[in-house]
Amino acid sequence: MKLTVNGDQHAHQGNGSIAALLEELGANKAHTALMVNGDVVPSDRWDATKLEENDEVEMLVFVGGG
Amino acid sequence: MSDKLNIGNQELGSRLFLGTGKFSSRQAMIDAVKASGTELVTVALRRFNREQAEDDLYGPLSELEGVRLMPNTSGAMNAKEAIRAAMLGRELSKSPFVKLEIHPNPHHLLPDPIETYEAAIELVKQDFLVLPYIPADPVLAKRLEDIGCAAVMPLGAAIGTGKGLSTAEMIKIIIRDANVPVVVDAGLRAPSEAACAMEMGCDAVLVNSAIAAAENPTAMGAAFKTGVDAGRAARLAGLMPTSEVAVASSPLTSFLSVDD
Repeated sequence: MKLTVNGDQHAHQGNGSIAALLEELGANKAHTALMVNGDVVPSDRWDATKLEENDEVEMLVFVGGG
Repeated sequence: MSDKLNIGNQELGSRLFLGTGKFSSRQAMIDAVKASGTELVTVALRRFNREQAEDDLYGPLSELEGVRLMPNTSGAMNAKEAIRAAMLGRELSKSPFVKLEIHPNPHHLLPDPIETYEAAIELVKQDFLVLPYIPADPVLAKRLEDIGCAAVMPLGAAIGTGKGLSTAEMIKIIIRDANVPVVVDAGLRAPSEAACAMEMGCDAVLVNSAIAAAENPTAMGAAFKTGVDAGRAARLAGLMPTSEVAVASSPLTSFLSVDD
């Protein structure tokens, strides 16, 4: 499945679940916040969310900031 | 004496808030946070990058006991982006605090008051404790208080400049009129300036560059703690009135005068 993840093209090999995508990219589930097509997807909705072809996914983590 | 700071329904034992940017290493940041005694630190959001996994601060910060996280909305150019950033930040922080900052011009990083106001309205509706980073504008501060912001955070000087309390006179007006905590955010360089802000009646200060860019960030974190504590204690003690003319501290009796 073709996705855009953090602005880059990504060929997703898994089942289209959020968990599969995070695992594929080596992201820690507990440390990651997510948007799909501009909408924030809270972690309690991840299981119910199925990614679709050409979805735009943003994966965010905490970094230092003032 | 108990001197807790209440922001919304949250109680804080320290009046020094710390930013976590610009530190030379993750360990330097953690050491400075501990030395400062802070209970509230800001964090930013960035795209996940597997190659820079060590930049992910979630793990080390969540291990710090008694320290709550306040995600900022840095990078947001307008209200819509800031609201989105706040929602993403809350997903990770599990904290109601948000530092609302919208500064579209990278040259001066001064806050956009109109976008900030619009974002604040929505974030208050969504039950955030909104702490907006704002120009030291008493009218804007009051308007943000009126719509339910939990505190206001006027800038002392532009972010990262170390120019100190260049807006002191405006901040004094904000303090005089405010019914929510006033936090000086940005511009401070020296612990004496933090003490000065607290003596003026600020409820807290937020410091990042002054500590992160110090030669010894841990020692500077401790120094800012001392400065904030001293300034707060002085405020509570009540400063003496000033006078235009000298007022003697010692008796001016003339027993030393020599008669010819």
